[in-house]
This record gives sequence, C-alpha cells and structure tokens, in this order.
Amino acid sequence: MEKFSYINPARLEQVPGLLKDDWQSKVIAGGTDLVGEMKDYIESPKRLINLKSIPGLDQISADDGGLTIGAMATLTDITEHSEIQKNYTALAEAAGVVASPQIRNVGTLGGNLCQRPRCWYYRDPDTDCLKKGGNMCYALSGLNKYNAIFGGGPNYIVHPSDTAPALVALGADVTILGAGGQRTIPLENFFILPTVANPYRENILEPNEIITQIHLPKPIANTTSFYIKLRERSSFDFALVSLAGVFQMQGKKCQDLSLILGGVAPAPWRSNEAEQVLRGQVISDDLGERAGKAAVKNADPMSDNAYKVTLTQNLVKRAAVMAVS
Amino acid sequence: MAEWGEARKSSLLGKYTQRLSGPQKVTGQAKYTFDINRPGMLYGRILRSHIPRGTLTALDLSPAQQMPGVKAAIPLIEAGKEIRYEGQEIAAVAADTKDIAADAIRAIQFDYDPLDHVVDLGEAMSESSPQIRDWENNQSDRQIDEKGDLQAGWTTADAVVEATYSTEVQVHTCLESHGHVAEWDGDQLTVWASTQAVFGTRRDFARHFELPEDKVRVITEHMGGGFGSKFGPGVEGRAAAKLAKETGQPVKLMLTRKGEQNTAGNRPSMVQHVKAGATKEGKLVAYEVSGYGTSGLGGGAGFTGPYVYQVPNYRTEKFNVAINAGSGRAFRAPRHPQGAFAMDSLMDELAEKIGMDSLEFRKLNDPNEIRHAEYDRGAEEIGWNRRQKVAGSAPGIQKRGIGVGSGQWGGGGGKGTKARVNINSDGTVEAVTGTQDLGTGIRTAIAIIVADELGLQPTDITVKIGDTLPGLPSGGSGGSQTTPSVSPVVKTAAMAAKESLINHLAEKVNVAADEVVIKEGSVTIGNNQLSWKEAASTLGMETISEEGSWDENLREGGAAGAQFAEVEVDTETGQVKLIKIVAVQDCGLIINRLATESQINGGVIGGIGYALLEDRIMDGQTGRSLNSNLIDYKVAGAQEIPEIRAIAHDTDRKVTGIGEPVTIPTAGAIANAVYNAIGVRVRSLPITPDKVLTALEEA
Amino acid sequence: MAEDTTRSTDQPEDRQKDLHQVNKTGLSRRNFLKGLGTGAVAATVAPATLAEADSHSATTGAEITRATVKLSINQQVYQIEVEPRTTLLTVLRDGIDTGGQRIDLTGAKEVCDRGACGGCTILVDGRSVYSCMMLAIDAEGKEITTVEGLADDNELHPVQEAFIEHDALMCGFCTPGFVVASKAILDQNPNPTREEIQAELSGNICRCGTYPFIFEAVASAAKKMK
Repeated sequence: MEKFSYINPARLEQVPGLLKDDWQSKVIAGGTDLVGEMKDYIESPKRLINLKSIPGLDQISADDGGLTIGAMATLTDITEHSEIQKNYTALAEAAGVVASPQIRNVGTLGGNLCQRPRCWYYRDPDTDCLKKGGNMCYALSGLNKYNAIFGGGPNYIVHPSDTAPALVALGADVTILGAGGQRTIPLENFFILPTVANPYRENILEPNEIITQIHLPKPIANTTSFYIKLRERSSFDFALVSLAGVFQMQGKKCQDLSLILGGVAPAPWRSNEAEQVLRGQVISDDLGERAGKAAVKNADPMSDNAYKVTLTQNLVKRAAVMAVS
Repeated sequence: MAEWGEARKSSLLGKYTQRLSGPQKVTGQAKYTFDINRPGMLYGRILRSHIPRGTLTALDLSPAQQMPGVKAAIPLIEAGKEIRYEGQEIAAVAADTKDIAADAIRAIQFDYDPLDHVVDLGEAMSESSPQIRDWENNQSDRQIDEKGDLQAGWTTADAVVEATYSTEVQVHTCLESHGHVAEWDGDQLTVWASTQAVFGTRRDFARHFELPEDKVRVITEHMGGGFGSKFGPGVEGRAAAKLAKETGQPVKLMLTRKGEQNTAGNRPSMVQHVKAGATKEGKLVAYEVSGYGTSGLGGGAGFTGPYVYQVPNYRTEKFNVAINAGSGRAFRAPRHPQGAFAMDSLMDELAEKIGMDSLEFRKLNDPNEIRHAEYDRGAEEIGWNRRQKVAGSAPGIQKRGIGVGSGQWGGGGGKGTKARVNINSDGTVEAVTGTQDLGTGIRTAIAIIVADELGLQPTDITVKIGDTLPGLPSGGSGGSQTTPSVSPVVKTAAMAAKESLINHLAEKVNVAADEVVIKEGSVTIGNNQLSWKEAASTLGMETISEEGSWDENLREGGAAGAQFAEVEVDTETGQVKLIKIVAVQDCGLIINRLATESQINGGVIGGIGYALLEDRIMDGQTGRSLNSNLIDYKVAGAQEIPEIRAIAHDTDRKVTGIGEPVTIPTAGAIANAVYNAIGVRVRSLPITPDKVLTALEEA
Repeated sequence: MAEDTTRSTDQPEDRQKDLHQVNKTGLSRRNFLKGLGTGAVAATVAPATLAEADSHSATTGAEITRATVKLSINQQVYQIEVEPRTTLLTVLRDGIDTGGQRIDLTGAKEVCDRGACGGCTILVDGRSVYSCMMLAIDAEGKEITTVEGLADDNELHPVQEAFIEHDALMCGFCTPGFVVASKAILDQNPNPTREEIQAELSGNICRCGTYPFIFEAVASAAKKMK
C-alpha cells in the first residue's frame, strides 16, 4: 500500500467535510475490499477516514416502521439477528454467504453495498481499463466468462454484492449523508448502470458522501423470501448468478413479488419480465418455466458467458418453485 | 541384504503414529523460512515485469537506492535483453521493512521497446504468430513413438473413438511462497530455504557464488509445501544472497503471492487429439495420438499415453509449445494427471461403444494384478453396481453417476542418502540425515523405523533433518523418492547401532551376543532385565554412532492406484457436487499408516482441484495472467470435500513413495462419473458449470 | 499526550521530506534494528523523541501518519510504533515494540496477503479475522488472540490436541489459521455438524489437502470440550 494518513472522526457530521470532493480521500469501514484494492495499488487514497470511530453506526433496531440497520453493522451481526432471519430471510441468507466467516466478522453492510467489482481487468493494476479512466473495456473484447448479460456497456462488470439484490428485493431504502445533510432514497435507485459519460462508478455517491443506514419496511404478512447463490466454488466465491426472491403468497397464488438478480449486470437487476409473468398468478411448474424464459428474453450474452443465460433462466424457474413449497 | 522381515509384524510399522512435528505446528512454534528473523535482517523484494514481451532499453535503480531505508538495489536483467513473460524479474531491493521494500520497487524506472506477444496455444502454433523462441512455430521437443502396424490395427477394430481431450495449466500454489533468508559470515553463506532439496540448493548456491560447497549451509527445518516447484534457489534465492553480500546484512526475500502464482512454476497444459480402436471382445488394437501443451517458455509439456494399457499398434506424437508466460516446473506426478485423465475418459468411451463394463475392459488391457485387486476393492467400496447402466438415465434434475480412474507411478528411491543413528549414554537416540520434510511425514517415518529397530517409541527418537551441516547428504524430495531412498539407510543405520549396543553389552557382561535381546524398551541379558536407559548408561563416556548403508532390497518402485468417484450433477446449473471418492492405493510397505492416509486424502484433493476448479488464465490482449491470486485461482476449499475413503492397499511389497501416485487417477474418475450421471461428456478440465451446461445444450 | 502532527502532503518530495523528518525525530530505522541484533533490550525511547499518538483521538480529527499503539495480544500488552498502512499481520510477524523487543508471533502466516486464504487468521474479541486485512491502528482496544495464545501453560487446547491426534496437518503452514478458526467455531457452536464445520472453515485453504482429518479433529475437539 502507498502511505496514507488516518483520521478518526468523532461525529458522523464531520465525514463529508473530511472526505472533501477530490476523490483523494476514502472512508474505511471493515476494509475487506478497500485494503485489498490498496495493496494492489488500484486505489491509493491519500487519507482514510475511519468510520469505526463513530459510535452508533452499527445498530440494528426494529420498530413499527420496520427495521433499521446501521451501515457499520457487520455481515455476521446481520446473519445472526433473529428478527432479520425471521422477517427478512433473504437478507440473512445473503449476508450469510458472503465470502467467508472471517470476512463477514469485519465486513460491514455499507462496505458490502459499496464494494468495487471483481472484473479481472479492473483488478489488474497494470491494465488501464475503461472503468479506471482508460480507453476500452477489455472484457468486451477479451475473457468475459464472469461478466454481464444484462445492462452492460460501455463496461460490462457485474455488481459483486450479495446483500444488494436481497435488500432491493425486500424494498430497502438507503440513507446517504453528504455535504448538504442526509437524504433517503430507495436502494434500487442507489445503483447505476455504466454510461459513456460515467463508466467509472457503480452508485450515485459523490466523493464526499457515504451510506449511513438501510431501512427495511415492515414485513408483509404471508411473505417468504430467500437468496440463492450459484458459485463455481462453494467455499468462498463470488456469484456466477444469484437471485433474491421476495414472494407474497396466498396459497399457491403469487400476490406480489420481487425478483432481483445478482452476478448478471452492473447493478442488482430486477427481472421485470419474470415478475410480470408471475404476478397475480397461481404458480405451477409450467408458469415457472415461462417466467424463466421471460427472464432471459432480453439477455445480451458476451462471447464467453452464454451459460449465464441458462443459469438465470433455470434459477428463476427454481425460485418460482421454491415460493410455493 | 537386509529385510523388513520382523518389522512387518511390528507394533509400529504400518500403524497409526502421530506426526512428531504436530505439537510445534499446532502451537505456531514451528519456524518456516518465512518466519526466520535474523539480527539486522533486511527485507528483499523483486520488481517484476508487467509486460509480456519487450526489449529492456533502460533501467534506473537510483530512485530506489536513494530512498531512506533502502540498503541495496540490484538489476536482475541487463539492458538490451528481452523480457519474455509477465512477471519476469527486473530488479531486486533490500530494505529495512517490507513496506519500504514495496515502495522501493515501485520507484524503480524501466523502459522497454514492446514486442508482439502470444499466450494462446493455437495462436502460438500458427504461421502468423510471433516467434518467441528459436523454435519453428514455437514448437519443440517433438517425440514420436511407434509400434506395430497401426493401419492393420484399425482394420481389426470393431469400435473406434476419436476425441480431443484437454487439461489446464495448474499452479502449485504452495502456501509458503518460494523464498530464502541469506546470511553471510565472511565467506560462509547460510541460507534458510523453503526447499525440497537442501543439498541441491547448497550445490546451486556454491556454484553460483563460486564457493566450495562446504562453505554453504542450507537449513529447512519446516517448509510450507513444494509439490515439485522448489528444487533450487532460483532467481529469487540468488538475489537474496547477492543483496545480503552487498549490504553485509541478512536478507529475507520471499515471493509475494502474485509472484508465486505467476512465476514459480506450473503444471503444463495438454491438448491431445486421439483415436483408438478396440475389438468387441475387449482388446485394444490401435491407438494414435498427437498432443501438445505449454510450459510457458520452457520445455517439459507432455503426457502419458497409452499409459497403463497395452496396445500392439500405436503411434504417439508429443510436443511442446512456447508462449510468453511463466515456465512450468515439475508438479506432483509430471505428465501423469494429464495423460491419465485422457486415457481414463478414452477407455470409458471405448468400453461403452463395445458394450462392455468399463472395469472389465480395463482389466483386459492392463496386466497389473495389483490394480485389478484395487479395482475390485474400490468397486465394492463405492458400489459399482449402483452405476447407471445407461449414462444419463437417472430421472430428475440432480443426476448421480459413478466413474473410475487409474494411475501408475515409478519411483522407488535410489542410493545417495547417508544417515546416522547415535545412541547416547543417557539413553537418548538421534537419527540424522540430510533429507527434508515437506509435509510428507518423513521425519516421523524415520523415527518409526529407528524406534522399531531399537524397541523404543517414535517419541524417544530425536530426528534431525533439513540441514546440510552434518554432512549427511540426501536427494531432493521429488519423484516420490524420499521414503524409499531414506528408509533403507536409516534402517541399516539403526540395525548397526543396535548391533553395536548388543556387542558392547555382551562384552561388558561377558556373554554371547545372541543372549542380549533389545525389545520393547528394555534389554534382556540372559536372566537379567535392564531398562533401555540403564543399558545405555553402561556406555559411560562413549556414544554409539553408526552410519547406514544403501540396501536396495528394502525398497521398490511401481505404485499402482485406482480411484472411484460418485458425483451428483445439477443439470440446470451445471454444478458438479462430489458425493464420495474411494482411493485404493498401493503404498508398498507402510511405515506410518496415519501419514499415508493423509497423503492419499491430499492427493485426491489436489486431483479434485485439477478436475473441477483450477485454471491459470492468460489474457491475449495484455499478455498477462488474470488470476494470480487465491480468489480467482480456485483451489479446493472445505466445502468441496466429499467423503473420501482412503484405502492404503496392503501388499507384500517393500517401502515405496506415494506422494505423487495418489493424485493421478482423480480427474479421470470424476470426469467419468460426470458422464455416467448426465450422458454427456466434458473432455476439458476443469469441469466447470459453464462447460457442463454447454455440453448439455449441445447434446 | 502529544499528537503526531507530522502531516503528509500531496507532493512526493514532501513525502520524502516527511520521511526524513521522522528519522530525525528519533532513532533512525537502521540503528533501531541494529539495536535488536545484540539481543539486548534497547533503551526505552523517551516520549519526547518519538511522538506518541493516541490513535483514537477524535477531538480534532487530526491526520495520523504515525502512531504508537497499545495492543493486547494473548493477554499481554505490546506497545509499538506503526504507520496507518501497517497491518496487524506485519506487527505480529515483523513488529518490534517500543522497548526494542521483537514480538515474534509468527504463527499467523503471510500466504495471500489479501484476505482470501485464512493463513493469517487470528481472533479479535473472540471472532475469527484475517489479520492481513486489519490495520494495526484499528486493533487497539481489542482483545487479540493468536495461535500462540491458545495453549494454557503447558497444556494444549483441545483443538490443538485433536489436530495432532487426527493428523489434521501435513506441511503445517495453514495449521495455525485452521486451529484458531476451529477454536472460534467451537466457542460459538459447541456441537457443529460436519456440514457446519465445512461451512465455517470455508475461509481457510489447505493445499496439502488435510481437510478430512481437520473435520474429524474439530468434531473430536467438540467432544473433548463438553
């Protein structure tokens, strides 16, 4: 790592001012992504602002309005929380399959949502790819087995977070602290797809902004949720394709649902087509099949990742079946 | 000529003995090269090329040399020379701390004229490829082997299979990276090395620095894995010693993980186009293969074939292809896992075509009786009769299948080891030799052999290995040679020490030597019984010290193995889940059954990684490896491990080595099991979900 | 307590100046290490020469470029000067405390240095953590346990005993990480199934392939610890 200076703010309100707006400073939470990036010199911030010194950012509290999770809650905190296990199962399951126990013990929710992509061209310090300010996306013309089948272009990363699809599926809001104070938006709008103007970032945060908490709405009756993560290696791997499903059921009839895919797009990807097929319908194997096909109707595979289309189709089908069982 | 004789019935040989190094390792007390700290020690670090090919035009070390805390910087390549792969060493520094050393290499400036690179095998062989070596079309070491009359063979074949099989470049992934701590004292050089060959490493350092060998000492008390890649100092070892010489301070230079994955060796890949024919009675009649692989810039690619099978008419063509990538090195049964995967698959394909059971077909063409017995034993253990009669016929989305793989190793050890057993007058016993323990358990095996001979317990024996200082050489730990090379000499040393003690006691008490019996911790002389300690104390001021001698009657080579795998394939996701693996391995005369079973488990798990997960990926655009780290290069983790039934197949044979044979049959067994499960064959390793899905779709 | 006000700047030349300043304020690094070589404990560094920093001083949000931290490791307190970029793993393996004593806790290994393999696993307040990914400066105020801290006087921890009995090790390089991770598992879950053991050890890699005997050892240790 390059040298950097370290700041321990006492109060949350100090953070935007300390971050400034020159992208030379970053916050550090658990550090399990950032420290790796810094060791590879992909990011070399001159100053790190330590969020661990601010008390109270890691609280998980339930009330009539739902559940609030501080951005500094660890993934282990989340997996072990009985309220989350019971009423927001998709999140507990997602947090429980992130990386490894050692990572989960220090990795935070905020860090998991803001982590950078795993694309091996991005992670190669010697390759000046589009996302890092270079001229071209190397995945587009190169080895793209793990890259996007939806929403890609001009770069083709997939968002590596497990908690993101689960939280989006559960209807989470995210609170952002910036120079002007705090604001809360749906988490679904926090993530952005790459554009020609901005292929650099995966979310809307300005350089002096941070996430402070996630809020989940009160659980709806008769709702079941789950998270399925398909990996090449079960021990410690990112998703090939993953799916967060939230199903509001009346017997075998699906009143409403959210189907968010991970590992397929630069942001958590709502499968609108599959949702349309399933919403308001009695779920049968046949309907599940149709939902799967619909989910990939508009898929845009790259040279090496057509298999992700099959995985997505089958995973959506499987999710529908799981919802009724 | 000695015999194991009585030892076969002993209470120690072949039993479960705890590894002597266990207490040190579980408490963190065991010091590996990476852990050695010497007074005034500096940290070394290598600057590596980020480009795959180019001519070095300028190298400026001064920004590093001027950095506070940096004590030396040396070039590792001259200006004007060609850089030939990403990761190639450019320079090295020595600094007060690791962080400063890392800063220092980043400060070094170098300039180059880029040259066209090639990292894809097909491209490298084509006419339009840059010629990166003075080989025609980047190809070398072409070996052609022919026997019989191939054309006649085809005409007698009732079934012919033609296929292309391929395997990946696999990286050793030693957890302790390559590295050394080098320290000079005048003209004496001491090196702590993470090595499989203390004496070979000593020789290399001595030659390189033009020193007499006895001025160099190499120490490897514990080392964190070699798998064939650590046989000499390499560029990094010599750099460490050079930096130490220049600075007058000890230098520790361990490779980073990226350097380790990228440049410290690998198992060459393989692509083979093969055609084979068999009669409906089950006889192989023709076999023709053309295959190649890459070992980066070097030679050494290759594969076994027709391997353990006898075929009267064959033609094999094998050659090597150069690409701009880190070179291959010997890796746990070089050439065998590649060839075995292909042969195991091919034999299965042929058996199916002639409608014969796969095991029956193998037995008809493989004369090795031990393997026949292993097939029978393994078949029973896995439940071979539960196998799908028609591949892919199981109902449902998750489909199960069973497959078999086979392996054969040579090994058997050789002379060149010297060992000594000392009996001290306080009853302590030392066994000394210049071998090294990479995790094989040779330390404990030595203790077992000596203890068995002297009627003691392994914990009564102090084993001193991994040091050239005592001047008792032994060969490098490769080729599964260690146990069969070391055991005979240790055994004969212990026998000689025992005889000396007996003669001493007989003389002292004035009885015939055959009235002195040493057994089970005590010594009986006629009607009197002494404890071992009491007997030893009669030595007074003397020490018994006996050297052993080579006795080839105590060892042999040729370890046969068979493995069976049961898998469950999810046909919707392509994921292969391992249910059970049965490994039946001829281990010769087993010295430590516990360590032997560990070795079998370990070999199988290495094979699991090879079969399902591991792959060194090179990017054509940049010429760089994309996964020289432990996230994207996937070795088997805890959740990949099925039930493994490790069966050390007892025979009447002598001591042999099994470090390598145990990893050969696994991939073939898994690949055949996958086929049995889904009825579609994946002929390329690793068998990842994308390949399974693609194969299912194309069917 | 004086705070470290040495401020790093954006300019490389200033960074160089910065380094020179640090060296001028106290023992130069070379002398520091040479002092270690004699085996004698170096004279305690007077606070005036090496600026101490309370690394959690939050009142001014001062920029810390060096700090002297107090770390509680295996129930012993070590005081050591670090940079913010110094990892806990580096402190354990290569650190020399302010008294000139080498910490020498080399059980935790540097294998991948990227939080991917578990070789550096230690416990922080009883939970398993990759020490290579933890900044030393963040370890202050925590209870750190390394493999060296598991045995009680001369008695091995049941996990350590079980690893030896079941041969849950070969080369042994991954062993400290596995032993520590296993202890953490059993502290949380005294009766884990094999699947649970596998899942909880998914953050530790063994290249020699000792996993089957590790699973047996953990199950056996669980019984011992009842």
